[in-house]
Amino acid sequence: MKKSLKRLVIDTATKYMYLSLVVDDKEVDSFYQIGDNDHSVTIMPSLEDLLQKHSVELKDLDEVIVGIGPGSYTGVRIGVTVGKMIAYLNNIPLYKVSSLALMASYSEHEYVLPLIDARRGNAFMAFLKQSHQNIQYIHKDVLMNINDFKEKQDKQYEVVESGKPNIEKILNSDLLEKISDIHELVPNYLQVTEAERNLHK
Amino acid sequence: MYVLGVETSCDETSVSVVKDGNIVLSNEVLSQIDIHQSYGGVVPEIASREHIKGITYVFDQAIKKANLSYEDIDLIAVTKGPGLIGSLLIGINAAKVISLNYHIPIIGVHHISGHIYANYIEHGMEFPLLALVVSGGHTELVLMKEHFSFEKLGETQDDAVGEAYDKVARILGLGYPGGPAVDKLANQGSDTFDFPRPMIHSDDYHFSFSGLKSHVINKHHNMLQRNEEINVKDFSASFQEAVTDVLVAKTIKAKENYQVKQVIVAGGVAANSGLRKKIKANITDIPVYFPIMDYCTDNAAMIASAGYFKYKKYGKSDDLYINGYSRLDLEREM
Repeated sequence: MKKSLKRLVIDTATKYMYLSLVVDDKEVDSFYQIGDNDHSVTIMPSLEDLLQKHSVELKDLDEVIVGIGPGSYTGVRIGVTVGKMIAYLNNIPLYKVSSLALMASYSEHEYVLPLIDARRGNAFMAFLKQSHQNIQYIHKDVLMNINDFKEKQDKQYEVVESGKPNIEKILNSDLLEKISDIHELVPNYLQVTEAERNLHK
Repeated sequence: MYVLGVETSCDETSVSVVKDGNIVLSNEVLSQIDIHQSYGGVVPEIASREHIKGITYVFDQAIKKANLSYEDIDLIAVTKGPGLIGSLLIGINAAKVISLNYHIPIIGVHHISGHIYANYIEHGMEFPLLALVVSGGHTELVLMKEHFSFEKLGETQDDAVGEAYDKVARILGLGYPGGPAVDKLANQGSDTFDFPRPMIHSDDYHFSFSGLKSHVINKHHNMLQRNEEINVKDFSASFQEAVTDVLVAKTIKAKENYQVKQVIVAGGVAANSGLRKKIKANITDIPVYFPIMDYCTDNAAMIASAGYFKYKKYGKSDDLYINGYSRLDLEREM
């Protein structure tokens, strides 16, 4: 019997935590739930539950896919820490994917504008085109003024601010990027820290 | 018993393997001190970003240098607070993954209990003992009647000692971190200013360094205004003498009152040579111990040692819901 390919998907860059168990390109189970600033508390118990239901251990996983933001700095670091550690401990491939692209995959529209509010009229945004099978970037992840970014788009689109990812669509796309050195993976913050900005003023 | 210690509460990413509470098989520390130097202090968001960069690498180095595999580990001890919350959460979640991956029990440890147990690694403990905890975030006298029992006798009412050192160093233009720089200059100067010794005669075991700090800053400011020449060495020596006089006086008072068998000094300021000399010169009837230099600053070996004794005492571990806390009472550890 051919061994099945077990993949774990993790994204904690927004208020919602997304965990997904994918076996041979099918999402067999997932966890998508709003948190109360407590992803750090709930991620591992939720992951344990999800895996236990399917008699899967962390050691049985073949690949890890992790959302690297942009989004909440503290939030995204929790998922990236967990993803890095699982891949490192079990010596398995680690893939990164944009948290905005994951969010966009929820939509059924041809053109999608995923958006994570960053206050003062700014947001983390991207622009993507998709079909049932595939999803691709038209405009990569940015942090900028919401109106300015929207004005650039000349297609009819849907704005998505939350929604459970359609992971199978993501798996078919070119949006996953394999990490060559697991130790090197860091979130995509899209912004240097305030302290660094002030230092270089 | 092999304990894997994890410490990410401030600006050091550290992982260590310690056998039976005091045999350190590895103690890897990735320090960010050079990065924060340009900002004159630790920038929390930068600290978190550095922790996540180094986290898996530090684990890998620690387990390899200990010549073990994760299957050999019996307990994971991780700092749960107090500290920078974003930084703590990285170590805690990394530790939880190991716990679930290998079904190893995990236990959360108070950062200060770690600093106290840094002394156990080299010197052992004899009870009752008195611990003077002095660092950038803490100044307290703690009485221990047995392993993993902490009774706080007194603490700073405002600034921690290390904090006062950093601020004085900043006005003297000595950069960050200030403690070692002030200490070095103090050794070359003399106490000519006779700064106040706050709360030295109070009947409790509390401290206060904010008034002294302001006094030193004002003095410096006034001298600049009057175009007087400032002898940085004497300035440093005068400040250090004032601080250590108070620390030593309160420590001696607590030592006499509680008839302790041992005095230990813990935390980053335990590296201060002025404090070391003065406390050793003034307490000669019982042993006074300081951690070796590697264990004065934040490290995971001390967390592994503290976790070992906490686990031994209570016989139970935490679960995967364990959280980090920016503030955490040492006495609630019991």
